[in-house]
Amino acid sequence: MTRTTKRFLNNAALSLGAAVLLLWSLGPIYWSLVASLTPPNALISDNLHLWPLAPTWAHYAKLFGATSTSQGNEVQSVWPQFSKALANSIITALAATLVTVAIAAVGAWAFVRLKFPGRDALFIAVVATLAVPGFTVLIPLYRLMIAAGLIDTYTGVTLIYVSAFLPLALWLMRSVYQAMPLSLEEAAWIDGASKFYTLLRIVLPLAGPGLVACAILTFLSAWGQFMIPLVFSPSLATKPLTVLIPEFVTRNYVDYGLMNAAGIVAILPPILLVLFLNRFLVQGLMAGASK
Amino acid sequence: MTFDMPTWPRLNRDARLGLALALPVVLIMGALVFGPLVSSLYDSFFRIEPMKPGSPFVGVKNYVTALTDPTVLAAWATTGVYVLLAVVIETGGGLAAALLLHKITIGRRWLLAAVVLPWCLPPVVNAIIWGWIFNPSYGLMNGLLQASGLTQGNQVWFNDRATGLVLISVVHAWRMMPLTVIILLAALQSIPKELYEAARLDGATAFQRLRQITLPLIAPGLAIALSQSTVFAINLFDEAWILNGASTDTRSITIQTYMASFQNLKLSLGMALSLLVMVASLAVSAVYVLRVYRETRFE
Repeated sequence: MTRTTKRFLNNAALSLGAAVLLLWSLGPIYWSLVASLTPPNALISDNLHLWPLAPTWAHYAKLFGATSTSQGNEVQSVWPQFSKALANSIITALAATLVTVAIAAVGAWAFVRLKFPGRDALFIAVVATLAVPGFTVLIPLYRLMIAAGLIDTYTGVTLIYVSAFLPLALWLMRSVYQAMPLSLEEAAWIDGASKFYTLLRIVLPLAGPGLVACAILTFLSAWGQFMIPLVFSPSLATKPLTVLIPEFVTRNYVDYGLMNAAGIVAILPPILLVLFLNRFLVQGLMAGASK
Repeated sequence: MTFDMPTWPRLNRDARLGLALALPVVLIMGALVFGPLVSSLYDSFFRIEPMKPGSPFVGVKNYVTALTDPTVLAAWATTGVYVLLAVVIETGGGLAAALLLHKITIGRRWLLAAVVLPWCLPPVVNAIIWGWIFNPSYGLMNGLLQASGLTQGNQVWFNDRATGLVLISVVHAWRMMPLTVIILLAALQSIPKELYEAARLDGATAFQRLRQITLPLIAPGLAIALSQSTVFAINLFDEAWILNGASTDTRSITIQTYMASFQNLKLSLGMALSLLVMVASLAVSAVYVLRVYRETRFE
């Protein structure tokens, strides 16, 4: 075999592998997008079409306010529930992200740069909870939240999210600070700056990419949470999309078009994050998983 | 007679600042994780069921139930199957994908973004997307299999337990594989190129290079990826719940715990069960956490 044929075969194999990988990763999402754009009667036809023959926005319209008819009855729009759940998802995920990143940003720095009693034991204990399944504490937490009157409140859900995602955020920020040269901070201390001032003015700006990675990971975890809100968000007061969408399955009728359309809306924020901030995300995952 | 005032250990400024900055961590984790954990452990030795009066001490009865009741044992076995299938799919597929991404130079950024995407989506939405593919009447899977002549008539995939377990594992692996890919890709990129050139000069074949250079050098990354896959598979809930509900065919131990606690209101049994799941997860990760901690301690 000559060199060029070998290289050609090599490239062909790589391209084939890349195509398979793309199909595996994006195929299911594409298929959901197709379903969300297919007219209701075509969805339940026997013929398989790999793209929507007569694309329609009907399912999205139903999500965003239009009424429809099904078997002769007028079906109420799901917009009131959908909009509330969308807002709930956004509010709880953003609040959890802000609080988690803020606590982790200063906490992890203290774990790395300051010596205080119980530091190592505390850090190990907190990181060990990464392996604790969320629902282990669900029942006592449920009673605690009832006692505190925080069931079905933004404060309650946000606090639980923070306690669930803080360990990973601390782990991540610790590795960011460990990789930072101490000399910069020492120079500031010698100039007479206090340690806290140094943290705010020198360390945090330099930790920007790490903070972004940390925020993305926390946001995605909170955005996708299912079991926590299933227990702690029983009503639309705080119920997020992840809990609302499966409820579109009514007793005798499953609206697949509507569910897929709602699913596509729910995955838009993660898709945008991956498209624009994937570099930070991958760095964060690498640091969080291996360091 | 004089009393000595109790003397607190004198803390310097750094220590006080450190404690102050770590205080939010202590408060949140203490109140919402460690406190509930301790109370879970304590309550698991009592009978706490809102439908029954009183909460007598029952010793290890809940743990005995959690390890002997046939339904619960079946759920443990189901979780075991999920772990096995998920780890095999994620590690095999993840290694192949990581090797491919490591080789590819053109458009790697975009390919990586596509590969990472499933991990970023809400698990519930993933399960809905796949549930539509597996739909018995109108799903893509039946459509493709029939179009290619491999099967005849519509298959109701979740009627068969083995098929159901495989499909749920595939959906779980679809979401979790990106993590394995990224961990292994990071490991691959840290291998010095000179090693491969030296091996090539010595006449090693591609397979020998993989066996004798790549695999040993990514072993630490592989260990981390394996422990992550295992812990996440032990805790599999969303996919099985959305795709097949509480069906005993595909009921994982986490679903069993949810059912015991929130459907049958056997709270203390639920706590005993979830503590056992925690012990299983911790045992898997302990090796890994201790190891990493040992590596980072002497800096």
